[in-house]
Amino acid sequence: MTFNAAALLLLIAGLALIGWLAGRARSNLLAGRAGEKLHSRPQYHGWYVALWLFAPAALFLAVWSSVSPALITNQVLTTEAAQNLPSFGFERGAILSDARAVAQGSQAAVRLPAAAPLVKPYADASQKYAWIGIAAMLALALAGGLYAFTRIKPDFRARSRVEKIVMLFLLLASLVAILTTFGIVLSLLFESIRFFRLVSPTELLFGTEWAPTSGAPQPDTFGGIPLFWGTILIGAIIAMIVAIPIGMMTAVYLTQYAAPTVRKWVKPLLEILAGVPTVVYGYFAALTVAPALREFAVMLGIPNASTESALAAGIVMGVMIIPFVSSMADDSINAVPQAMRDGSLALGATPNETIRQVLIPAALPGVMGGILLAVSRAIGETMIVVMAAGLSANMTANPFASVTTVTAQIVKLLTGDQEFDSAKTLAAFALGLVLFIVTLLLNIVALRIVKKYREAYE
Amino acid sequence: MNRETAPTDWKGAVMQKRIAGRYAAERRFKLLGLGAVLLSGAFLAFLLFVMVGNGARGFMYTHVAVPVDFKAMPLTIDKARLADADADQVIANAGLSDIVAFAADEALGTDGSKLISENAWKEVRSAIKADPELLTAKTVFELPASSEVDIAAKEGAKGALGAKVDALEKQGKLSTGIHWPFFKNADATDPAVAGIWGALKGSVLTIFIAFLIAFPTGVLAALYLEEYAPKNRWTDLIEVSINNLAAVPSIIFGLLALAVFINWFGLCQASPLVGGLTLALMTMPVIVIASRNAIKSVPPSIRDAALGVGASPVQVVFHHVLPLALPGILTGTIIGMARALGETAPLLLVGMRAFIGDVPGGICSPSTVLPMQIFLWSDEVDRGFVEKTSAAIIVLLIVLLSMNAFAIYLRNKFEKRW
Repeated sequence: MTFNAAALLLLIAGLALIGWLAGRARSNLLAGRAGEKLHSRPQYHGWYVALWLFAPAALFLAVWSSVSPALITNQVLTTEAAQNLPSFGFERGAILSDARAVAQGSQAAVRLPAAAPLVKPYADASQKYAWIGIAAMLALALAGGLYAFTRIKPDFRARSRVEKIVMLFLLLASLVAILTTFGIVLSLLFESIRFFRLVSPTELLFGTEWAPTSGAPQPDTFGGIPLFWGTILIGAIIAMIVAIPIGMMTAVYLTQYAAPTVRKWVKPLLEILAGVPTVVYGYFAALTVAPALREFAVMLGIPNASTESALAAGIVMGVMIIPFVSSMADDSINAVPQAMRDGSLALGATPNETIRQVLIPAALPGVMGGILLAVSRAIGETMIVVMAAGLSANMTANPFASVTTVTAQIVKLLTGDQEFDSAKTLAAFALGLVLFIVTLLLNIVALRIVKKYREAYE
Repeated sequence: MNRETAPTDWKGAVMQKRIAGRYAAERRFKLLGLGAVLLSGAFLAFLLFVMVGNGARGFMYTHVAVPVDFKAMPLTIDKARLADADADQVIANAGLSDIVAFAADEALGTDGSKLISENAWKEVRSAIKADPELLTAKTVFELPASSEVDIAAKEGAKGALGAKVDALEKQGKLSTGIHWPFFKNADATDPAVAGIWGALKGSVLTIFIAFLIAFPTGVLAALYLEEYAPKNRWTDLIEVSINNLAAVPSIIFGLLALAVFINWFGLCQASPLVGGLTLALMTMPVIVIASRNAIKSVPPSIRDAALGVGASPVQVVFHHVLPLALPGILTGTIIGMARALGETAPLLLVGMRAFIGDVPGGICSPSTVLPMQIFLWSDEVDRGFVEKTSAAIIVLLIVLLSMNAFAIYLRNKFEKRW
């Protein structure tokens, strides 16, 4: 007997359906007996009962399923079998989770011998807390349902009550965004502070040596500059050298020259570039682009060209961002008033003179904003750099060399087998915090520019 | 009239040359634009071409015909036990793999057993389970070749292996067919039996969870913000955070999920549940933004009319605005879900990177997703996995492109001009 949240949720949903039917029937019956008209239509009475039945029980279920594992573990730890567990640390956690897996039936036998005596206490404790939970949940559901059921009267304003609850749900749904934002900020901040207790922030931000996986004799060093440089080299320099000219010219061609039917077909086709998963781009960069570039570099006579190069990752990332840049440029060129274009053409300028000397300067702030957004997207991109740019922290301007980025290092630091409290693991959160702040600032600045510019012509 | 202000001589040679130069610049500029469009198009075409070129072969596999004579090499198994749950174990213990290896050596010459996949005997096992009568007869099994033989047969190879494969081909012992295990199996270390079904099922479960959470939350939040929210500092805060979340790098969501769902709540690691929750948080802002646009485009006259005949504000929204906005909302949701389906980075951090050799059983069992399978296979140097990776990419792209095409179809079909 374990605590199966999904099945219990279905159970109370079933109870709620019964409550709905009962509430509806009773309101009809009461109205008929009293010879009065109902204030609300019968289904609203039904909904009222169903919501009172469902909501408290579901809320309890959510709380209970997050609290009960800790309670179960506590009880197991008080038993005799738990006395000779190793004190805190990774091993203890492994033994406990092994015993839990067997007790819950998700694993046939224990992997660690030390876990065997704990299985029975675990099973007993889970059973006990499961029964407590189910009993409390059913009691809550019945109490809620009965309370709502007894309040049904012909003149009871069930509809406005139900609508109030619906509004509450709407408000709660929109609060999820705030909760997520807070969750991101708090989790990043909390873990980063733990990291900064071990390593000073100045070292992370201004240190020039990144070697978190060094051996025991040398201490780990967490100087972030090589990562920041690699991120800028790939995301803000190489990718943009590819994306900006192609994206801009594409937007100019599609808005100013292309026939409407061509535009109708080409635009969604380019959007496909943005819809291709980044792991596919990464594979493409690592398998096709990087070896080709390496051969090209060797042909040019560049020594020690690597198969993992900043150039391969940057070029492919630039291609990925083309549709993004072109649609932002498209928007801002379209936002330039037609009168300015007509005026320039009427004076005898050719279309390309109009575009270069009137439209683009007028659209420039919007385009700049779009480019900043593209940079923010490029520096947050992960899979392409993980697969194609390599993991060695080099401070080099040579695009054929292997460099690493913030996102690639986050992945590297968190995918090894490591205990959660080491500086290496925590460093990933500190890097995440830096990445979050930088992309946030870029986005805010970009949106400001775009917004300010838009107002100028209205 | 002095010379400076004289009307321009349009017919003069200097002016004609200048005009010609400007027209040439115009043509160059236009061509440059066309070139940019073609360049992006060419890149897309090249990408698809490389993937299809590599991947098409990944759906096929070479089989070797190996006769196994159970009369000469009896496999002593009680037939009654073949129906038991542990039939696999029983057959394995009886030494089937040795018999198959021996039969291969006999049929294909010395080292013949190296030519077939080391998991080939499992195919024989399932054939025996399906038809126990095979145990008393001589049967020719079409067994999967080893990865090297498969590549040699598809591409041609030099040296001893190439000669061997050519000889087998001449004897008609090789056949190539659609590789069903690729669609039916989970990940494996042997390319001959590795498949995408486990990852596909993991993807479906993960996306299902993400949809279940992100869709209602996103739509309700959009309804609140668009229809009811008062203009104050709180709703501003909500709006700002939604817009910011839409632009936060996806890997940050992975960090959030690792810290909150796994380390704090202790939810099952590497499971579709945690992956789905992560992707739900990531997609919700996209759904909110798309839904708000759809709701905004429903004309106010409809709301006014409903209010005018006595509907309450909640009834106006749920009976009138929402049904009319639904096609737009669904379009945005499908596009958001397609993006989530192709996402890898946040899932790397919640542990979905591990090698999973089983098809996931439920939302809490360890699993992997299709993009992650591609990522894991891309690390395998084995040449057999290059084809597999590209084949998996083709499957992923087909799923994603059909989702996007469906969204576009939906938008065109239900697009209304009020």
